[in-house]
Amino acid sequence: MEIKRLKLHSFRNYQELDISFNKKINIFIGNNAQGKTNLLESIYLLAISKSHKTYKDKELITFTEKFSRVGAELLKDDSVIRLEIIISPQGKKVFINDVEKRRISEYIGVFNVVMFAPEDLNIVKGDPNYRRKFIDVEIGQTSPIYIHELNQYNKILRERNEFLKLAQQTKKIDYHYLDVITEQLAKLGASITKKRATFIEKLNIYAKKLHNHISNFTEELDIKYQSNYQQQDISFDNILNLYKEYYQTDFHKATTQIGIQRDDIKFYINNVDASLYGSQGQQRTVALAVKLSLIDFIKEETSYYPIVLLDDVLSELDDQRQTQLLDCIKDKVQTFVTTTNISGIKEDLLKKADIFYIKDAKVYEREGDHYGEDK
Amino acid sequence: MYYPDTIQKLIESFSKLPGIGPKSAERLALHVATKMKEEDALSFAKGLISVKRDLMHCSVCGNLTDKNPCSICRDSHRDRSVIAVVEEIKDLIAMEKMREYRGLYHVLNGVISPMNGIGPQDINIPSLLERLKNEEVKEIILATNTTIEGESTALYIAKLLENTDIKVTRIARGLPVGGGLEYADEVTLLKALEGRREIINNNK
Repeated sequence: MEIKRLKLHSFRNYQELDISFNKKINIFIGNNAQGKTNLLESIYLLAISKSHKTYKDKELITFTEKFSRVGAELLKDDSVIRLEIIISPQGKKVFINDVEKRRISEYIGVFNVVMFAPEDLNIVKGDPNYRRKFIDVEIGQTSPIYIHELNQYNKILRERNEFLKLAQQTKKIDYHYLDVITEQLAKLGASITKKRATFIEKLNIYAKKLHNHISNFTEELDIKYQSNYQQQDISFDNILNLYKEYYQTDFHKATTQIGIQRDDIKFYINNVDASLYGSQGQQRTVALAVKLSLIDFIKEETSYYPIVLLDDVLSELDDQRQTQLLDCIKDKVQTFVTTTNISGIKEDLLKKADIFYIKDAKVYEREGDHYGEDK
Repeated sequence: MYYPDTIQKLIESFSKLPGIGPKSAERLALHVATKMKEEDALSFAKGLISVKRDLMHCSVCGNLTDKNPCSICRDSHRDRSVIAVVEEIKDLIAMEKMREYRGLYHVLNGVISPMNGIGPQDINIPSLLERLKNEEVKEIILATNTTIEGESTALYIAKLLENTDIKVTRIARGLPVGGGLEYADEVTLLKALEGRREIINNNK
């Protein structure tokens, strides 16, 4: 799986760009605010149909323009697939080989991405929200049913909380209706919990191995899924009974007390909670191991390697971690890297890479080109 | 006001209709004022008054009718032991177009949704229960939409009828007729798979 060509029109600060890629590793070098991350964002958009930075598609359109177009030529199984996304204030259109796909779900999954950016440290350090979003995005990349179930669950949850609020105000409760929405919630909750548990289990196997290597065999990582249900047996009946035990508490607090909306993941290094007691360096290693383990996870789920996007993180990694990263990529995974400074990057990594210099939304293949302007 | 009062009022009236924004309302009002023939405008106005004055909800099933009870409820050839529960009048019309269903209907005129401030008492559920007390009904077909709210409402009615001798059924969901599997989205396909039927069982 490889992107051979990327074309942008009125995307963020790019008016017009047409760029070809010939190597597995591609490094974008430039100062801040020149447009490096926007290139990664456009690739992320082509895979997921959404930006990793904003949920408002309109923000992707160049400020003075009416619409934005992002296209790519993707090499998959020796054939070329043309992908295109057009964003206008009216909405978004997605195309595969020039044929419009009416449903986004028909589009997503042509290729997958794994992005690693500085803010991913939040997966370890941040509040549980970040971790839930992380699970949802990653499972969603390979399972459209999961996204559907999650949307349904959230909708029922809102109805249920509103119902509880009303019940508290009026001091009247319709138990028949509460039973019905609780049954729906329990059914979806049980299914989502099972999928999350399976995902974390697989992630743990891959990440543990990686983390072990990165830490030079001194640390043992353990990722544990903390299901809010805290049940061994995630069956519908069991979960439903649990919700029923909470009826009175739910009623008093006027909100649903248990469920997947309160799930979390815990990271342990040598049995110590890394979020609470890990050093900055340890937390960064965990985040890196978790993200890199997705490469193997996606390969197993879809039988294709994802495309890896490293936003401003490579030069911050020490030699050991860069070596590990190279190991994961193994000449099989196409990788796009942004950095402000080439000096922190290992020599043997640079040798394998094509280097692009980014200045003011223009791409130059030689460093001299953009210094030439200053003369 | 830039427009004369009469046009301004007409614009406001049009913009109360679903799907009509301020721009469309303005265009429609100006069309009526300048382009529409007087007889057409009069017949439009009469139609508006007539649907409000001469039409009513059927006191039995909730259908829209000019005679109470409605023609379906009065039809003696229909099977009075089966009632299909639908969300809206347009769903009843869709069922009628099929020309196969010969039972009666009950129109809920909405679905339960606390988010929108609609509880079971706010739609035609009490009248359905009243009806079941008085009529000899053998089967209730829950034909609400397959949205979350439609599903909750169907399950709620089913729950109310749990300990009666009435058979409660739910319409099936799955693949559209004549449609290939390749065109179905994943969720529809999953529902079709879950609702599969046995054709031959060789392990009896």
